[in-house]
Amino acid sequence: MKAVALIAANFLREHRWPVLILFAWIVLTALAAGGFGRDRVVGEDVVFYVQQQAIYICIFSAFLAADAIHNERKSRRILLVLSKAISRGEYLLAVILGTCTMAIAYTLVFGLCGVWLTARAALPSGQLWSVVVLVMAGSVIAATVAMFFSTFLNPYVATALTLALFCAPGATHVQRHAWSIWLPGLPILVDVLHFNFRPDWTVNWFAAVLAIVEAAIVWMLAAAVFNRRDIAVPVE
Amino acid sequence: MPGVLDYDNVTKDYGGAWSKRRVRALDSFSLSLERGEIFGFLGPNGAGKTTAIHLALGFMRPSAGEGRLLGRAFGDAGTRARVGFLAENVALYHRPANKLLRFYGALNGMRPERLRLRSREVLRQVDLATEADRNVAKFSRGMQQRVGLAQALMNDPELLILDEPTSALDPLARVAMRELLLEANRAGKTIFLSSHLLSEIEMICHRVAILDKGRLVKVGKTDELLVSRDRFEVVARGVPEGSFEHSQTQDGRTEFVVPAVSQRDALERVWSLGGEVLSVNPVRRTLEQVFVELTNKGDDV
Repeated sequence: MKAVALIAANFLREHRWPVLILFAWIVLTALAAGGFGRDRVVGEDVVFYVQQQAIYICIFSAFLAADAIHNERKSRRILLVLSKAISRGEYLLAVILGTCTMAIAYTLVFGLCGVWLTARAALPSGQLWSVVVLVMAGSVIAATVAMFFSTFLNPYVATALTLALFCAPGATHVQRHAWSIWLPGLPILVDVLHFNFRPDWTVNWFAAVLAIVEAAIVWMLAAAVFNRRDIAVPVE
Repeated sequence: MPGVLDYDNVTKDYGGAWSKRRVRALDSFSLSLERGEIFGFLGPNGAGKTTAIHLALGFMRPSAGEGRLLGRAFGDAGTRARVGFLAENVALYHRPANKLLRFYGALNGMRPERLRLRSREVLRQVDLATEADRNVAKFSRGMQQRVGLAQALMNDPELLILDEPTSALDPLARVAMRELLLEANRAGKTIFLSSHLLSEIEMICHRVAILDKGRLVKVGKTDELLVSRDRFEVVARGVPEGSFEHSQTQDGRTEFVVPAVSQRDALERVWSLGGEVLSVNPVRRTLEQVFVELTNKGDDV
């Protein structure tokens, strides 16, 4: 596990600049939503901010995870790492861990900005932290699914497929059916999109736990596929 | 007894089973490395050398056949902790040299105290001790290559697999690298060395394999490979000048080369001319001559 943590930390280090830019983006959009000098912020603006950033964080996680293997193979740095006592499964786990750590940090900044906005809009901030936890779970499953696709597809195709997998069921309204809870990420997406600061909004915690379990299964599938890939073959 | 590195009838094809661009990189390749030897792996570009190395490290799977690295099937992660690998055109993370070495060492399960000791030691071995805190991104290509070698040595491996380790080095650094490899070998490490620098292979390798178009065309002890069995050099005394074709005479000594089949006739002629045979030795060729001859002919073993 130490090796996994080391690769994950290295992954974070390698992506520090895009992450810092995204942190700046969250803060700047919060400032924009906060109205720059307006006395009071409108509740709908805060809801829009929360929903928009929540979705962005999940997309960002998917994008980052989908690109990771491709970048490492393209730069050929993966060769030295995998010439050590690291299995392919551990390597993928490290990528997920790195991506999720970033997503969690990103989500925490988003939570703090959200708290500032809710205070300015005189809204209760308690529910916001439930959204933060949902987004963390959503990021984990989005990153893992994207990484799974990227083990055998181009990273852009992998990201597109991941987004399609999460969004298509929502667009076709399958969420009305009870079985839709088993679709990866869908119940989280539905909860976030229905978030409104009203007391009747409730969180489906089972969906969050399920997302983590599904992520573990997808990681195992990804490891099985990645085990069979020729990683030294140049990527285009 | 299994070797340190064994390939057993390994074939590797690139491209899918139905692909029109299917390329056979290795064809029924068999080879066994013995413990404690320096083994030179030669072949023209595209011969399959790097493919063979990547298969051993589990970066790819053979299309057919199998192999063992330190007695375990290719791809076993735990076994790689006992191997040091330097890739061709080494690509490193942009971090200070000492931190980078500790990172790679830790991936092999080395403990912090040993990491500190070994990183200092190997940086000194590759003559980069004074650059330990500098980011490798600011290093020259040759320095990066030396950091690459240092990370391969970090875990004090039993087997060193080096893919073109001297390609980016200047002549002085090449000499230092050669010394380092000989020292590592004296310390008991087996070295699998792929290189285009034939003179270097000739100088340090105990055995050599030559690969061409994915097939092993020759394998054997370096000395034996360099000795021709079909031509002999004869040195004689007291033979009139010009008695033999392409002969050279100096201070009464005549030297000439004869094919093995005419060796007896040539010696009898020396005696019939009243001369004395001083020596008869197989012609010694350079590795370059052997290499060119074999890779042009494409002979099988």
